[in-house]
Amino acid sequence: MKTNLDLRDIQGNIVKGYGRFGFPKARYILYRVKASGAGRNFVTDLIPFITTSVKWVSSNSTEEGEPKPKVTTNIAFTYEGLKILDIPEVSLHSFPDEFSMGMKGRVDILGDDGASAPDNWDPVWKLIDQIHILVSINGETIEDIEHRYKEISECLSEGVEQLDGHKGDDGIELPYQDGSAIYDGKTPTPKEHFGYTDGISDPYFRGSGASAISVVGGGKRTREDATTEAGWEPLETGEFLLGHKDESDEYPTAPIPHLLSRNGTFMVFRKLHQNVGLFNAYLEKEGARFSGGAEELAAKFAGRWRNGAPLVDFPTEKSAKEFIERFLKARENSIAASAENKEAARAKYLALKQKLVAFDFDKDIPGSKCPVGSHIRRVNPRGSLEFGKKKAFNTHGALVNRRRIARRGLPYGDVKDPSSNDGNHGIIFMALNANIKRQFEFVQQQWINYGNDFKLANDKDPLLGNHQSKESGGGDGRMVIEADPNGDRPPFFCQAIPRFVETRGGDYFFIPSLTALRLIGAGLVDPT
Amino acid sequence: MANKSGKAYGLTTLCPIVNSVRDKQSFSALTRDRLEKLPVHEKSPFTKVPNTYLCRLFVLNDVFFEGKPANYEHLQSKYLVFTSNFYGDLDTYLHGMWQSAQQDVKDIWEFCVGFSKVNDADSFIKYIKQCQVKTMLYFNGSTDDPLREQLKSLYLKQELSKFVYANQGKKPEELKAAFDEFIERVQPTNLDGPTWRCGASTLEAAVTHNEV
Repeated sequence: MKTNLDLRDIQGNIVKGYGRFGFPKARYILYRVKASGAGRNFVTDLIPFITTSVKWVSSNSTEEGEPKPKVTTNIAFTYEGLKILDIPEVSLHSFPDEFSMGMKGRVDILGDDGASAPDNWDPVWKLIDQIHILVSINGETIEDIEHRYKEISECLSEGVEQLDGHKGDDGIELPYQDGSAIYDGKTPTPKEHFGYTDGISDPYFRGSGASAISVVGGGKRTREDATTEAGWEPLETGEFLLGHKDESDEYPTAPIPHLLSRNGTFMVFRKLHQNVGLFNAYLEKEGARFSGGAEELAAKFAGRWRNGAPLVDFPTEKSAKEFIERFLKARENSIAASAENKEAARAKYLALKQKLVAFDFDKDIPGSKCPVGSHIRRVNPRGSLEFGKKKAFNTHGALVNRRRIARRGLPYGDVKDPSSNDGNHGIIFMALNANIKRQFEFVQQQWINYGNDFKLANDKDPLLGNHQSKESGGGDGRMVIEADPNGDRPPFFCQAIPRFVETRGGDYFFIPSLTALRLIGAGLVDPT
Repeated sequence: MANKSGKAYGLTTLCPIVNSVRDKQSFSALTRDRLEKLPVHEKSPFTKVPNTYLCRLFVLNDVFFEGKPANYEHLQSKYLVFTSNFYGDLDTYLHGMWQSAQQDVKDIWEFCVGFSKVNDADSFIKYIKQCQVKTMLYFNGSTDDPLREQLKSLYLKQELSKFVYANQGKKPEELKAAFDEFIERVQPTNLDGPTWRCGASTLEAAVTHNEV
């Protein structure tokens, strides 16, 4: 069935991620609306800047679309924001509870305790009920961002205050949060601060702007081979966009009126600090005891080698290295290929790229290659919750298909001293989903901070789990690195894992469609 | 087979509550008050009742109307529902319940029709059997072994996991010595202790060295 999404009505970065190669720089700005009229005028004034999901095409293309801009702009609202912008009470009450409670109201579910508790967040994120609007700018260069930032700032009036208090380098407080890909010289890379290639796998849904071939590895699992197209189907649009059919064959729960919610979605925004010093020290110490060494330990934590190769298909460092070298070479060749060779070179590149995601864990149920408790196997189990038992559920991905999230975001800050945890570095994590409670919160609570679904008792995600500090030093995190049942190597038990990632702020946002934005700006949202 | 699943027994009873009032509160409301005040986890009175895997108590007000085409109907009275999954046969279990938690049983069932005639273990067993309905679904968090064996197994599993984390990578002779010490400490065949405490809901509350 063909899905025609109204791409000019859907904000950008939803049906297709902006990606860190196209837009390695970002700025996130928070606003407080003091007077509803001024707030609505601000929204209306921003509408011409808002980037939609319309396809970007080259100037000589005959395809429907627009040229890729140098800078993008998007807007989202908290519950308090919608309230002060005069959204009628009946509409407000129709928003889901978790959204109206906001992220601070959900810390018990998210496990944001200790160092991740709101007391330790950036000053701006500590504000109660004052964060109303989030504007995100993505750009090719910092100059592009600055230019757009100035244009937006000119739309401000007395009734709208730009909020201060995002922590930057050396503890200084800034009126915005910047994000940036990590650069290798002048080239942006897909790395995050622990050294992993990030953002490889993202869900593929009906109407997605990604290339159709991305269904392999990005869709939902069928019972066919995971390395083939038959092994995957697109997820339903309604898992990521309101007003469309979801995986339960109905519309997702959404606020009224339909015009307010259709083509909109919910976004979780989290500023996550990375304790790089702790991570490196732990790898060094435990890596010395682990027979595979520090690099393999890092791979076992993630389920991928730090270069991105999945452990399931590339269980040795050598095979992973060779594969990624081949993959990068194929990409270079594809870019450099002459017109007549272009198609063949591109096909070769895409075939290799697919190997990064076109896998599942059926061949490795015991986890001897990719540990059952590793990060990627937890957050996207790819059908492995049947534990190899054929047809345990109606569909292979029955327990997974309603728990998918689309990840967006970029790293922030620089690691100036790899042995230190302090400093301004981490990830701006953004998750898009139709239902924050069912999708993001479930993954965070059950799959990151708990292990029962994986038969791993109380074990948490080694990288993202909210491991508690112990009085004796270190953390209380544990992870089993399973051994090959037929091999000689014993399993390895990681212990005293400290909390590598800490929450420094965030909230839950509603991203309306362009139609809804116009209604909000005009004060015309009418639920009757 | 109804009521039995392997060595586990599933008991479901519906005891009608007298339709009367004391101090402006109905007997069903008074019963619910008492249930709400029952201590839970390791302090629950049912931890004293031998071989209880899991039990639940609640007051059933009425049948739930699921909408047309279902019939809209009512129960004749309110019911105290007691369900329990346990090891062994019913008579032995109820006998143990009367012996070990008699006062709690009397407090909980006080307002039920006919309970005033219960005055010893035999009349209690007879009473409960009169209120029994068939059980087909079982608690999925338990084997069908005697409770003391299950509690010891849980304890051993937990301790073995700690042992593994504490001793991995040791040389064979050190490992052997540590393991001997471990076995001596955990006493795998001694069901009296050390073992898990009945009803424990946290690791801190779990290990006991002298009781059960």
